[in-house]
Amino acid sequence: MDWASFPFIPLSMILPVLGILLIVFLEERHSKWIALSSSGLTFLLSLVSLFYFDFSNSDKVQFYHELLLIKELNLKLSLGVDGLSYLMYILTTLTSFVAICWSVRDHQINHRLKEYYAWFLLSETALIGVFTSWDLLVFYVFYELTLIPMFFVIGIWGYKLRLYSAYKFFIYIFISSLFFLLGIVSLSVHHYKQFGKFSFSYFDLLQNQYDLAFGIFLFLLFFIAFAVKTPIVPFHTWLPDAHGEAPTAGSVVLAAILLKMGTYALLRFNIGLFQKEAVFLMPFLVLWGIVTIVFASWFTISQSNIKRFVAYSSISHMGFVVAGMFLLNKEGLRASIIEMFAHGLTSASLFMMAGFIYNRLHSFNMHALRGSIRFMPVFAFLVGITAFSSMGLPGGSSFWGKFLTIMGAKEYTLQLALLVIAGAFFSVLYMLYLMKTLYLDTKEEGRLVHFLDLRGFKLLAFLLVVFPMLLVGLFPFLFFSFFDAYINTLLTQLVKVVGGIPWR
Amino acid sequence: MEIKDLISIEYPNLTLFFPELIVLITGFVLFTLDIISKRISHALAIGVSITGYLIALLYILLNFELKGETFYSLYVRDQFSSLLQVFMILLTILLLAFTHQYQKFKKSTYSEFYYILAFSLFGAMILSSSYNLLLIYIALEAVSVSFYIMTALQKGDFNSKEGAFKYLILGGLSIALASYGAVFLYLYGGSMDLRQILHTDASEKKLLILGLILFLFGFAIKIGVVPFHFWLPDAYQGAPTPITAYMASVGKIAFFAPVLRVMPLVQESFHQTWVLTLSVLAVITFLYGNITALVQKDVKRMLAYSSIAHSGFILAGIAVAETIGLKAVIYFLLAYSLMGMLSFLVLAVLERDGRWENRIEEFSGLRYSQPFLASVFAVSLFSLLGVPPTVGFLVKALVFMSLSFEALWWVAILMIGGVGISTGYYLRLVVLMFMKEKEKDLTLNLTGFEKLSMAIMTLSLIVLGILPMILWNYISPISEMLFGR
Repeated sequence: MDWASFPFIPLSMILPVLGILLIVFLEERHSKWIALSSSGLTFLLSLVSLFYFDFSNSDKVQFYHELLLIKELNLKLSLGVDGLSYLMYILTTLTSFVAICWSVRDHQINHRLKEYYAWFLLSETALIGVFTSWDLLVFYVFYELTLIPMFFVIGIWGYKLRLYSAYKFFIYIFISSLFFLLGIVSLSVHHYKQFGKFSFSYFDLLQNQYDLAFGIFLFLLFFIAFAVKTPIVPFHTWLPDAHGEAPTAGSVVLAAILLKMGTYALLRFNIGLFQKEAVFLMPFLVLWGIVTIVFASWFTISQSNIKRFVAYSSISHMGFVVAGMFLLNKEGLRASIIEMFAHGLTSASLFMMAGFIYNRLHSFNMHALRGSIRFMPVFAFLVGITAFSSMGLPGGSSFWGKFLTIMGAKEYTLQLALLVIAGAFFSVLYMLYLMKTLYLDTKEEGRLVHFLDLRGFKLLAFLLVVFPMLLVGLFPFLFFSFFDAYINTLLTQLVKVVGGIPWR
Repeated sequence: MEIKDLISIEYPNLTLFFPELIVLITGFVLFTLDIISKRISHALAIGVSITGYLIALLYILLNFELKGETFYSLYVRDQFSSLLQVFMILLTILLLAFTHQYQKFKKSTYSEFYYILAFSLFGAMILSSSYNLLLIYIALEAVSVSFYIMTALQKGDFNSKEGAFKYLILGGLSIALASYGAVFLYLYGGSMDLRQILHTDASEKKLLILGLILFLFGFAIKIGVVPFHFWLPDAYQGAPTPITAYMASVGKIAFFAPVLRVMPLVQESFHQTWVLTLSVLAVITFLYGNITALVQKDVKRMLAYSSIAHSGFILAGIAVAETIGLKAVIYFLLAYSLMGMLSFLVLAVLERDGRWENRIEEFSGLRYSQPFLASVFAVSLFSLLGVPPTVGFLVKALVFMSLSFEALWWVAILMIGGVGISTGYYLRLVVLMFMKEKEKDLTLNLTGFEKLSMAIMTLSLIVLGILPMILWNYISPISEMLFGR
């Protein structure tokens, strides 16, 4: 059998759906185990597919399958992965499994279990769909479908302000992505006007030609949606609420994968489809990314709620991703993609840290948390690795993101690189502040001595994100091999279309 | 010349007219039964209706490709009318699951309901299959008069009377306008057939424009286009809820059908003017409907305003009835008829609880007491809002597509604003149902038929969104037939 044509992607979308059906029809006490096994199987499937992925051709779409939906509009359900989406696909299966592992032993999740696990499995299917769809309208369908599970997860199992946060989350993202929808259909109509047939396929739409003004209009239609989703600073206000109020596993999925949808789409569509426009707007967007880093870092330091703290730190990381991406050179793109992956791992770990401490202390208040993890050595060790990775210490996973962004910026001017370094400085600052609070600040020992350390499923969840974190930090070239060919192709295309970057 | 040629008697081709005939006969059978037996039993009435409708439905489905004109080309059967009629009959059958229980719990039995329903369905079917002004006028009256009666059926209820009265007066106005318009059109073209009128090459265009404006204004009142919508919320709120569901689905299809038939022809003659006029009306209708729905306390009234808003969205599609627009509109119309009927039927079921008043807060924690109803309602609300993977999303995307075809960016952006506003009220209901604590216990039992009917509608909302080719393959040739491209 030819394994490269084995339906890895469709199968990994069907498995969680099968899980949902079982959950619906079986008793509630089985739900968590069904969810665990179906997302575990999906994760295993994605790991198995690693052996059959052709890394040297990561610019080509592999594992490709399609199903025609509307012939006249060329609307197809086309699933496949290139290097970039493959990495995101692995991240999705990994983090979904981690989130469900965590929920199995989470005290907060004690009612309406059936629904809870069904929503998580649905979000896994939708997220895999997002990262593997090559048809823009289908991409949009999955992109919006991820909203519904998270809306319910925040609204039902969240903390105090859950309804407010759920509304805000849904309305922000739903409305902003309507612009994206308008952008998609305009692209398709434009294709019709040029080539005489409708199409939503990414590859067909690549051939479209626009004048610069219309191109920028379309670019902005796309950009609005992803700027809210990523988020970039003035559009970020939904994020701290949604992430802060969601249950731990919900925050994990939100931060680790949902934010990546925004950056993935920026890279795939705004740079992939609108190359001229991306180059034209590049300096502006890079600066915007840096502004995001700096502002989000300041916001972070001023938080007193640890979940909101972690949420704001996510925004600053996304700043690095956006800035790196729009540098449009090899280092910048590498930095941006590896940072997407690395941030998925570190943010998952940090949110689990917040959830774990909440289980012990019943508080998210930074002041109440002082020195709280001193008597849980395994937990403290794993959180330490995460924190150092996140701040970008060499050997930590985020180091490569930050280092390569600086390298990429230096290719343009030294001043730009210095700006990025300033941003990186602030992000180190807030992480150190967090570590100081958790490890060094003293507080009467009191109950702290009796706190149980990590074990069982929660330990497994932590290990599943910390181990790849070390892998990224120590062997980044393992991960570069996923997308180097993709980056090279993208850059050659860029040179071909635009003739190089004028600001160099 | 012989006298025979002058008169030229045409024998009606009943193979074309058969479904309507069956529905008409069903109506008369129900009428006779009602007269003969003092009080017709619901089971019998429903049985007779469903049998009749099923025969008609099967006949249409088996002869879907049937095409032709009869009654001196007053009556036209083509795939367009067949498709709309399939949906009308299907929805009526699904509706019949709910009527008996509703009347039982409202403690008001009205046996006239079943034959009036049959007659209105007959009118609606004719309305979808004619180009002739005279026949359109008569069918319009048939549907409207049935609707006035059905709205007022809830004897002793003040709202019901008020709604019916408003509907009667504004409905009368609409028919007056439409018939006055028809007169001008006849003056212009010398024919009652709209196809001939629009292809006449007379130099005096004023009569044509005046006639079309009046004719379409008449229909705009029926459809509920702002600023002609004032009857709609009252009538929808006052009518017994299953009837509201019927008006929002079958009624909508019926009133839109002639407009859809005429619009491609109109477009050919006055492209720019119509695009502009209709887009302005569409935007106003959509925004007004949504803003007003947002502040409603009564859910039935809120859904009525949402129905107005959706009329606006369909109108936007009609404005650019280009290659893709007309297909989008037909799809939208059929999809909306499903969503509209489903959402009103949920209310119809809930109203059986004596204390239920359709207040928005009453939906708190509905998930705990009525999980099935809550999930069905949530799916229909998400579909009305246009969240994938429901069909509501797909049709909105298609309308946006047709808007971008004409580069009507301002319409598209304002529509996005309107959808944004509508998020407020649809989402509030979902939040109340699923995320709030229970407010009151409801003791409701759904019959198997009701559950089946709701499940079919809910599933089709999702399936039509995921696998659009099921319906699209039928819609696509229709638009080519109506528009020639």
